[in-house]
Amino acid sequence: MAFSYTNSKMFPANHKTIFVLDHTPYFGISCESPIEFEFLKSRTPGFIPLSPISKSLWTCSVESAIEYCRIVWDLFPQGKLIRFFASDAVAHIMNTWSPGQQNLNHVMNGMSLIGVPPSPNLRSQPPQDFTVVHGLRAAIDALGECTDLQLENRKAIALGDGSLKLLNKCRIICITSARDNDSMKRLQEIFNNCLHAHNKVAAGSDRFLPIDHCHLVIIHTFPVNIESQVTPQPPRNLSSLLTTEVHPIKAPLISNKLSSLILEHYDLASTTVTGIPMKEEQNASSSANYDVEIYHSKDAHTAILKGNASDSSAIRTIKEGMEYETVTLKWCTPRGCTSSELQNCTSMYRITPVEVNSRPSLCLINFLLNGRSVMLEMPRKAGGKITSHLLASHGGEIFIHTLCTARSVLEDPPSISEGCGGRVTDYRITDFGLLIQQNRLVPLKSNYNSDVPNSIQKMKARLSRHTKYWPLTISSTLIFNLKNYIDPIPSIITKEKITDDEVVQCKQVIYNLISLEAKHEPLHLPNVGQRTKGQKREEQYKIMWNELETLLKNNCHSDNHKAVYTCLVECHKFSPDDNDKVELDQALRELDQLAKIEPDMQRASVIRATTDSPMSPPPLTSIAPPLSRTVLTNRSGGIYSTPRSLYDIFTSQDKVKHRPDFAGRTEDNSVAKLYPNLKTENDRGPRGEGMEVE
Amino acid sequence: MKTISKYILLIAFSSLYEEKCPFTRDYNAIKVELQKLDDFDKTCIETALHGVNQLVLSEWGNNTACQIILVTDGNTGVGPMTLGESFATLNHRTSSNPFPLPFAFPAKLHVVCIAPPDDSSLIKSKSLYQRLVDISGYDGSVLIPDNLSENSVVSMFQKLAEDMYTSFRGVLKCGNLESRIVLSPAPVPYTKVTDFDCQTNVLSELIEVCGFIPISDVGSPMAVSRHLILPATSNNKENIPLNAEIDLTTDDDSADEGKIPSFCVLLHGALKVENMAALVTLGESWYGFIYSWADSKKKSNLMLTALTPGADAIPWLGDLNRLDTPDNLSQEQVGSFPVRPSEKRSYSQNGVVWIRQAGLQSDIQKILRHARKLPEKTQQFYKELNRLRKAAMSLGFFDLLTGLAYIFEQECTQLPGSAHPDCALQLTHAADVLRKTQNKDFKYVIVPLQTNYNST
Repeated sequence: MAFSYTNSKMFPANHKTIFVLDHTPYFGISCESPIEFEFLKSRTPGFIPLSPISKSLWTCSVESAIEYCRIVWDLFPQGKLIRFFASDAVAHIMNTWSPGQQNLNHVMNGMSLIGVPPSPNLRSQPPQDFTVVHGLRAAIDALGECTDLQLENRKAIALGDGSLKLLNKCRIICITSARDNDSMKRLQEIFNNCLHAHNKVAAGSDRFLPIDHCHLVIIHTFPVNIESQVTPQPPRNLSSLLTTEVHPIKAPLISNKLSSLILEHYDLASTTVTGIPMKEEQNASSSANYDVEIYHSKDAHTAILKGNASDSSAIRTIKEGMEYETVTLKWCTPRGCTSSELQNCTSMYRITPVEVNSRPSLCLINFLLNGRSVMLEMPRKAGGKITSHLLASHGGEIFIHTLCTARSVLEDPPSISEGCGGRVTDYRITDFGLLIQQNRLVPLKSNYNSDVPNSIQKMKARLSRHTKYWPLTISSTLIFNLKNYIDPIPSIITKEKITDDEVVQCKQVIYNLISLEAKHEPLHLPNVGQRTKGQKREEQYKIMWNELETLLKNNCHSDNHKAVYTCLVECHKFSPDDNDKVELDQALRELDQLAKIEPDMQRASVIRATTDSPMSPPPLTSIAPPLSRTVLTNRSGGIYSTPRSLYDIFTSQDKVKHRPDFAGRTEDNSVAKLYPNLKTENDRGPRGEGMEVE
Repeated sequence: MKTISKYILLIAFSSLYEEKCPFTRDYNAIKVELQKLDDFDKTCIETALHGVNQLVLSEWGNNTACQIILVTDGNTGVGPMTLGESFATLNHRTSSNPFPLPFAFPAKLHVVCIAPPDDSSLIKSKSLYQRLVDISGYDGSVLIPDNLSENSVVSMFQKLAEDMYTSFRGVLKCGNLESRIVLSPAPVPYTKVTDFDCQTNVLSELIEVCGFIPISDVGSPMAVSRHLILPATSNNKENIPLNAEIDLTTDDDSADEGKIPSFCVLLHGALKVENMAALVTLGESWYGFIYSWADSKKKSNLMLTALTPGADAIPWLGDLNRLDTPDNLSQEQVGSFPVRPSEKRSYSQNGVVWIRQAGLQSDIQKILRHARKLPEKTQQFYKELNRLRKAAMSLGFFDLLTGLAYIFEQECTQLPGSAHPDCALQLTHAADVLRKTQNKDFKYVIVPLQTNYNST
């Protein structure tokens, strides 16, 4: 069996397993291991004792095989397929490779239908041929059938993907009873011949796959009062296609044998969680410590077992009455909620309790299913202990997480505040938090999963839309600090589609701003920072309009989006060519007939040409020295009034110098108001009087 | 800014191996040890590799990527325990005597042969070294100097160092916001082997956010690797989402990089405040999570956890390719975390397992407990009885049914005088039906006997 490392991992024998159960009349006999009924012993003298109840060989084999499946399907809900065949005078097939039939209920129902082994009909002519060979032959045929995964692989190969190959490796577990070593040997030879015969047929067939390798595990079983005439046989290669092994075992112990085998077959390991505090059933006030054994992938132990040899030898013991090792880890009473942080997990695997119905198992399972998690500790030879694993349930399934116990290469890492951008203190954390909440991911309900395409690209496009214009810091934006004026524009405008109602909402915000500006109302910043102090009203508006324009221009995702943008550029005159003076009137007029706006396309394009300048709205901190107050009275002097000649700039600068003279020097002796701006800053009232020196 | 330096371990080997210098960042200590090396008996490479496996596992566990440089004279040894012999016995290893390769952790193996390229033993052993590199699974190399001069050996090592320690530079992107980043430690390709498939995944240089999930829903999934995300100290401007973006740096070119806003820092802050993780794509159908992480010293940082490649990496989050925002879905399509599998596991199904006698005994006892409290417990009594009957039918355990019928009849004779009359009627009825319906359909359900006491 010299398969390379990847081959044995890529094409494991455990992808396809078939149980072939002997259903011949012999299996109807009792296994002679009576069940004890303690509760009947304390009865009064008049009680007539119950005749002993024993399972039949058939019952023992069925329950053990079912238990094997229970473990496999708990740990590997997909991709590890098991079929059941029973064999008497013919082969009975209880399920197919189809995933819909790979569950305990289906198999149990099949078992009910097939019932107990038949009694031999001695008068039947010709005599009925009761043998397990019927089942084995049928099993070989079934191993030649493609599973869904194999079919997919086969199609990909047929399409010419030369890098792929397909090996059909599989396992048969046959529970039967043979007279002696000779008949056991003959059984294996017959099987080997059938296997080769199958491959000859399969070579010329499209329907069947040849079998590249089969592992035949024969469990030879018998009642407890009988001596086995069959001796154990370790794995032996009967041919290049077939490895066989034989395990003689008393019927009530089949399950123990299968427990050892399942660990090999699926690379599993056993962990015993020790010291679980449990209330006593009889005496609820006291509690005792219990152990619960679980199975899971062997890889969950790699980190602790391969690390320190002396530590690992201390926790490994042979499980009592079994042939395999278990690793004992200590229950660690959970403190706080461990799910609130991301643990550093190097692996995670599903688990299943070995004794699913025992009281300690149920107790641990329910504890976990109720959403609590358990840390497992491993003692260290050098003293102390280490938290090595975490048991937790997620969505009704229980997992073992391997925690990183080793040293981390990320020792003493720098803090994020030490790196690029670490000294900036005014990031828009709250606003990004809002963006995070708006882009929370949810799963689809499972019944919709199949027919919905990949949505991740859509999510990326959405995030891109949400960040078309997104200043990182508070000081680099004005509009996002003016939420009470601007909302709900930012949340509406970043949508993929906006309704007519939402267009109206946005327009109302714009009209409202225009009306405020016309009324000379300053824009009040909540939590005014030091940086924004001393800002003049006109500048504020200027910056606000420009930034708003940038936001809207970058979010023209649809005609309705464009309508909002058009509304802005039409209402607020970025261009010198429009010299409407009474904008408030226009705004009010448009408020009245909102829906009827017919954008004048030609005019819009003129405005576009003038506003598509590469100039970006300046941040509040880097505003040039106060622009002329004349901006207010003479809108044609706006920064967007292109083209401006050097002379224009000179004259506008010149005007600045023609300030009104200091009040005290004027001749009309009117009272001058001191620090008019100070008053404005502190005044939260609606009117911003005192801006002008009287 | 601090960078994260590399840890180095030095092993000398012959037929045994010796840890000359434990993992350290003190490179001088290594230099000192290198001066003191002695010659011993003979070359035994397998021993050295076992030592590497042992030392790395006990220090770093099985999840930390390592670089292994095997420095040799090009001779694979003589007599027993040569590399050739190691390979010859490769297929006859048992679990007590495994071959050390592939290593139990992600490891790139470089074999550096200090020998002239035409050395006769090197020519023979070259293919053995290459085989060693191949088995190790990652794209390591076999290096031979152009000639045996100090210059060419030094330049060979220098080139190796450059290849080994190229840091990962990439871009972290969330829509139009982005940041140049460095990942520490640098990621290594990850090979995922599943039934019928084997894929090697290389982390993309573009790490793109696709949405956000609360940390408590993420659980603690398995990480292929974890990396610190450090905003890159590049001369280029950090954030250039749009040409419309305000450039704050022009007036002060010498500005400290710490004062230039970085998207990484913003993302970190917001994730921390919201207690959320960002789901990111690391490649084709390969995902990771970015979240705020603090080591014990309260230094908070941005961390990337690379999940197992594939959209099914976390069963309780469902198909990662199909996560979406509720805005894009209809009301009835919106699910919630954790995603539950369509089938329950055995431990939440109240199944029947009678392999250990205690299982069967407690099931019978439960029925008898209900029996003694008839008629109040009529429903429970019949529910448990039907559960047991169905299981016995599946297992072909008919003796149990006759036995139970017998127990019921005995129970009737033992009833105390104070017992409710319905008790005896139901027990007799149950015993009767158990006997009669053995050959009936397993789906047959035993129903309570209609009596004057319960026919309401």
